[in-house]
Order: sequence, then C-alpha cells, then structure tokens
Amino acid sequence: MIKKILYTLGALALLFGLYGFYTRLFIGERDVNYGSYVTWGLWVAMYLFFAGISTGAYMLATLDYLFGISLFKGTGKYALWGALVTMPAALMTIGMDLGHMERIWKVYLQPNFFSLLAQMVWGYSLFFVLTAASLWFAMQGRRDTAMKVIMVVGLFLAVFLSGGVGALLGINANRAYWHVGLLPAQFPVFSLASGMAFMLIIVGWFGVVEEARRSQLLWVVGLLSVVLGLVKVYFLWADFSQSIYSGIPDNVKAVQLVLFGPYAWAFWGLQIVLGTAVPIIVLVQPNLAKNGAWAGLMGAFILLGFAVARANIVFPALAIPELEGLVAAFTGPHLNINYFPSLLEWSVTFGVVGLATLAYILGLDRLPFLSAKTEATK
Amino acid sequence: MPQTDTATVNRRDFLKSAGAAVAFLTALSAEPERVIASTAQAVNNKPLTLESSEGADVIVRMQVELQRALQKKPDERRWVMVIDLRKCVGCHACTIACVAENKLPPGVVYRPVMEEEHGVYPLVTRRFIPRPCMQCDNPPCTPVCPVSATYKGEEGVVQIDYEQCIGCRACITACPYGARTSDFGYTYLEGAPVADGLIAGQSFAAGYERAPNFEYGKEWAREEGSSPIGNARKCHFCLHRVMNGMLPECVATCIGRATLFGDANDPDSLVTEMIHRPNVMRLKEDHGTEPRVYYMV
Repeated sequence: MIKKILYTLGALALLFGLYGFYTRLFIGERDVNYGSYVTWGLWVAMYLFFAGISTGAYMLATLDYLFGISLFKGTGKYALWGALVTMPAALMTIGMDLGHMERIWKVYLQPNFFSLLAQMVWGYSLFFVLTAASLWFAMQGRRDTAMKVIMVVGLFLAVFLSGGVGALLGINANRAYWHVGLLPAQFPVFSLASGMAFMLIIVGWFGVVEEARRSQLLWVVGLLSVVLGLVKVYFLWADFSQSIYSGIPDNVKAVQLVLFGPYAWAFWGLQIVLGTAVPIIVLVQPNLAKNGAWAGLMGAFILLGFAVARANIVFPALAIPELEGLVAAFTGPHLNINYFPSLLEWSVTFGVVGLATLAYILGLDRLPFLSAKTEATK
Repeated sequence: MPQTDTATVNRRDFLKSAGAAVAFLTALSAEPERVIASTAQAVNNKPLTLESSEGADVIVRMQVELQRALQKKPDERRWVMVIDLRKCVGCHACTIACVAENKLPPGVVYRPVMEEEHGVYPLVTRRFIPRPCMQCDNPPCTPVCPVSATYKGEEGVVQIDYEQCIGCRACITACPYGARTSDFGYTYLEGAPVADGLIAGQSFAAGYERAPNFEYGKEWAREEGSSPIGNARKCHFCLHRVMNGMLPECVATCIGRATLFGDANDPDSLVTEMIHRPNVMRLKEDHGTEPRVYYMV
C-alpha cells in the first residue's frame, strides 16, 4: 500500500519536474530566483540534502558490512542502494545550478585542486564508484577483506565529504553566518542523522528485515535519529546564541532572518516542530515508534526538517548584502536579496525527488538481490 | 594464422585508439589558454606621443603616465585606482559609461555607485561610493574557482576566462565586495514593442546589444548559450582599453575627476602621490584582501 502511494507520488513529482527539466535544459536559467546576490538557492540546498542522505546511508551500511552489528544485519544493501540513488540526485540538482553545465568535464580534466568545489566533485565521483563497488560486492554476498577495505575507504570518504560540504560554505570569510570553525564539523552529524532517518523509512515502510527484529531495529534507529536531531538543535543553539550575543551585524541579521524573517514559518513549523518535536513525540510512545508506518513517517518528517535546515544554512547568509547600499545602487533581474524559490526551481526539485523515489522503489521491486526479502508494510 | 592476424590487428587498432584517446585527453587537460595574459602585447615600445604640462587636466597627466607605464614590463607595473569621495557627486556617469563600454546586459553591473545618508535633519550628509572590482592582491575569489577560470594576471588585475568558467558562482559568493555578477542572458530591449515605420525600431536598436564587446582583448558576441552568458562577470579595469593606451572608461568619463588610475610603481604618477596621503582608506581592510582601489575621504 505504502509503495503504491510512493509510486504515485513519485510519478506525480516527476511529471511536475518535466516542466523544470525541459525549461532548464532547453530554455535556460532565467526563470530562477537566485542570482548575483543570493548566488545559491534551492538547488544547492537540495544538493546538500541529497549528498547528506547518500553519505549518511553509506555510514549506516558499514554497521552491517564493516562492523557486523547483528541488529543491522541485512540492512546494508538497502542502505547502499539508497546511497547509490541519492548521489546522482545530488549531482543533478547541483548540475542544474551551473551556468555552463556542458563544461563540467573541465573539473575533471582541468581542475584547480586548491578549490574545495573541485575537491568535492572528485570526491563525490570517487564515492559514487566506491558505492557502486560496495553494492556489487554486496550483491555477491561477499563480506571478505576486500569488501571491508572498500567499506573503510567509503566510510572515510563519507565523513570527509560531509565535512567538505560544510567547509565549502565555511571558507567564505565574508559570510559571517557560515564562517565558523564548527560548520564543517556539524555536517557529518547531519549526514549520519539523514542516514538514520532514511533507514527508518526503508525499515518502517518497506520491511527489509524479518518481523522479529524489525520493531527493535525501528526503536534503536528512531532513538538515534532523535538523539542526533537534538545534537543538531544544540549546534543551532550554540551558533545562534553566540552570534546574537557577540552582535556582529551581518551574523545577527542572518540569524534574525531565520528566526523572525518572512520564512520563519519554515524554521519553526517544519524544521523544529515537524522535523524535531514530532519525532520525539512518536518516540516516547513505544507503540508508535515500533510501528512501521509511524516510524517511516517519523523518518520522512526528520528528512523534511533536514531539507529545511539545509536551506536555512544556505539562504540567510547570502541574503545579507556585502555592502550597505549595494542592493539599491543598481537594479535589474537577479539583483535582489529577497529569495524564495521560483516555480522552475520547485519543479526541478520535485522532479529530482520523484526520480530518486521511483528509482529506489523500482530497485527494491525489480533488482533480484534487493527484492528477495522486501515486503511492503501491510 | 587468421586468428593471430586478427589479434595483431586488434591490438594495433587498440593501441591506435588508446594513443588517440591519450592525445585527446592530454589536449583537454592542458592548462587553459588565457585570453589575455597581460597588456604586454599592447603599445610597448611605441613612442610617447603625449605631453603633460603644469596645470594640465589630470586626465592628460594620467594619459601620459599610462603611456609611460606601458613601456615597462607587465610585472613591473601596478595598476591601482583612486576614488576621491569628496569629489564624487553621484552622477552615475561612470556606471553608465561602463555599461556602454562593456555592453553589459540587465542584471550585470561592474561599477555601481552606492549612496549613504548619515544623520538626521538638519545635520544630514550624503556620500557616494563607486564600487569597481577591488582587484585584490589577496583575492578570495580566485582560489575557490574549480577550474582556474578566474585568476590574477601578472599586472595584478583579476581576470575571468569566459570560455573556461563553468558558471558555479563560487567566486561571486566569495567576494566580500559583491563585485561580481552573473550574466543570465538578458537584453535591454526584450519585450519592447516593435513599431514599423520608426527610424530606429527595436530590431535596429537591439543590434547594438548584440554587437560584441572587447573585454580581455577579444570580441565577445552576445549569442544565446555562449559566453559570457552563463558566466560570472566583473570589472577588469578596462584592460582592453589600457592595452591600447586608453584610460578605463569610468576614469575617462568622470565629470568631477574623482576617479584616478595609474601605475603605483611609478614614483612620479598621480596615483602614487594620492595613495601616500594620510586621508586614504580601503574597503574592508580587516579581511586582508589588500584591495588595489583606494578611497580618499
């Protein structure tokens, strides 16, 4: 039943996305709302989001294939499949963001390795290959030394790539909101939390482990998800309280924008209430926390909260002008600081989400080594 | 034997293909050719044709100094800009001249003039602050570029190789001065009504916008999907003019002579004289970017 709903929602999202894909690929980038001041918008936030799920799912796969934790036995290949599907989704959204996406080959053949962006492109490519290799080994049921070596390298990459995303933003010393040493340190935690939430969905909704172990697994993963969510809230508190207390104007303005700005509803409603508080409520009621449908929903809420959290990291820092008077000095298209994603941006985002959802479930249903034990939640 | 022959041929074919592939990849991975390395190919060794006398317009003096600077090796000159805020009247002529010179489309600006108002009536002052690219000696925008499309030339002007840029906007994000904008491919006359019978209709006027600009010493026709559309863009001190012995357009246009340009390595130049005065400041010096644009206050 849940799979049918997801097939339908995925197909609808993809259908909506076709408009965005066509417009972006054949007409251009004009109908976006990001620009020269808010340089990175929804697609960059979604890149962080998908990359977080991918690396987080890989981290969870190591619990099965590298550390051999019995509770997670059998979940590794589903996590790896998730990592493999969400990484192209991340690269699609970031690819759409490029003014000249046809020149992406230059990052491979003429890279500036001093650039974090180039390092990330190379790192993610290597990570994708390693994920594919891990899945290939998993298909063959291998748990030998070769598999463990791949998983060690993959885990190392997953942690560092997650941190790299934070560094990608944090190195911009001109953006006070980003330029904190803790930012790269936070992102591996976000990735792990995203991976946990993803695991809640696949275990809760798709029943990828036997019934006897399922409720215990859901409880543990749910608990870890909530704990990591609270760690995220602690990071927020540390960042925001220090920023406001120290009173650096650009930083304070960015924090105020998140807390009280025109899109504060997204922070309070989606990130805090739906993404953090509701999962706690579900967790403290064991009947719900161990119920597949509820646990999966809890995972989906946590992921939604993380998507908003990514947006709340990217946009506010860019919505503060570099110089007072700059925005009013010259006007024109894409020269404003009030950012809300355009229809084109939403369309592409929904399209990519739909594509990734369909790809993941199709894999569960059609790939023999994944479909063997998969049962939709009754 | 036939099988051996086939194997030999296949191996040879394979080697040929591999060789071709390696050659292709080597060609691709070669360091990108810079459109303009410097003004070295400019007017070096041309005789000095201008003279400046006591009391001459500073434009004439700067023109003479420019010719003198171009006689030197590129790495021996240090282009700087000095903007006297006491003389700027906020006419925006420099902004418009820059747009005209570089055929900038809507949404792209190299030299906006910011306006600040201080105080409460009757103690009110206004200040106008033109903001070109600072051509930082320690630019945060260049190391972040994943393909080295933006770099500091040997004369210290930060440049963009339009054909190398992938349009990721990392450089725009990194600039502390908001001095870079992204070209989304607009033209000013889009959607303007086409009126038959007029002497200069939309199509005639639009021809001006489609005409190439000459940034970095190369013709850049404005065609859909090709650079500089989709690229980051910025002020480059009008290098294409400087290489031909002309002052940057904003300098030449300034009605109050508020913007000065020249070689700071020339001890006798006007800009050297100005930047050694005590009433000089640079924007966001605490960022350690070492801007080459000085403001006199």
